[in-house]
Amino acid sequence: MNVVVVLAHPSAGSLNHAAFDTAVTSLTMAGHHVTALDLYAIEYPALMSFDDRHAYHGDTPIINEMTLQHASAVKAADTLVFIYPTWWSSLPAILKGWLEKVMAPGIAFVFDEATGKVKPGLKNVRRIIGISTYASPLLAVKAANDNGRRTLLRALRLCTGVRTRSKWIGLYSVPASTHEQRTAFLSKIDAAMAAL
Amino acid sequence: MNVLVVYVHPDPASFVAAMRDRVLTGLTAGGHTTQLIDLYADGFDPLLTDQERRDHHHPPVLRPQIDGYAAQLRWAETVVLVYPTWWSGQPAMLKGWFDRVWTNGVAYELAAGGRPKPLLRNIKRLVAVTSHGSAKYTNAIEGEGGKRVISRSIRPMCNRLARCTWIALYNIDRLDSPARIAFLDRVEARMRRL
Repeated sequence: MNVVVVLAHPSAGSLNHAAFDTAVTSLTMAGHHVTALDLYAIEYPALMSFDDRHAYHGDTPIINEMTLQHASAVKAADTLVFIYPTWWSSLPAILKGWLEKVMAPGIAFVFDEATGKVKPGLKNVRRIIGISTYASPLLAVKAANDNGRRTLLRALRLCTGVRTRSKWIGLYSVPASTHEQRTAFLSKIDAAMAAL
Repeated sequence: MNVLVVYVHPDPASFVAAMRDRVLTGLTAGGHTTQLIDLYADGFDPLLTDQERRDHHHPPVLRPQIDGYAAQLRWAETVVLVYPTWWSGQPAMLKGWFDRVWTNGVAYELAAGGRPKPLLRNIKRLVAVTSHGSAKYTNAIEGEGGKRVISRSIRPMCNRLARCTWIALYNIDRLDSPARIAFLDRVEARMRRL
């Protein structure tokens, strides 16, 4: 299977990086074709610029070379995996910007001129997996609506097929977590990727 | 009242820019004192850095990259956010402004137990003025991420009694200009009697 794995954390050596390495290794060993995108490391230009915005509704909605490469990987993907720290109950800006630019018209959705409706463009994606670390305990995360998870498993999910499955692996109360809990978190990721 | 307006859109000729203008007109007519932050015009970099992440628990005394915004937040009694809703939430530019500016020492203080103690008690009201490409029910299905970030994550850092006001235009791509103009009139009127 083709799998795109996206990481959005600024610090090498972070738990998110460990999660990313675990996921990529596990997927590769299981024989999947992996596109691994460490957004900070590759200095992804996440900001929607004036030129990006002007191209967005035109014939060529994506004008940035790196964004084009990522978009074609997404179009060929069976599974999308997102790994990020939850900040302000939502996605880090670099990942939010990546969604805004990669998931452009013609990629993630299509405007149907006849009906005026928006149609899903990612029927190729059969599964979305989210992996996130949270400073807050689970109850507080739920109380704040876990908006990053909502964005990926609802807004983005609506652009995929009706049978597309989703999975969420979260580690909560990270600052107070024990070494065992972190290891268990990584093991869970390893198992989920191996079982894909 | 001291009102801080934070405006986010890459295109100075966008509808969101018109929303910003009417927000400012309404606030001035209502006798409020305003300050405007235009994040794109400022060239703000919304990406939290490795160093900032490391400094999270013990931020340096001086942070030139955010100290100006922090002072404006401490001045404000009301914050009005004017932005387009993309992928059911704030644009990366605005999300990154939360990530980098609303930090330990500005929005909250990390107490011994790790629970954040709010620092922006001066802010008694948060207003979002935003446009959506999709319909209201689509946003409801998607879980209203942008609205909840403000009401459930940002608001707890403000005054205990802080109120949230949501002024939104849905389905913008399918609206004719009278409907858009009516929305701008509504925005200005709401700001005048804020």
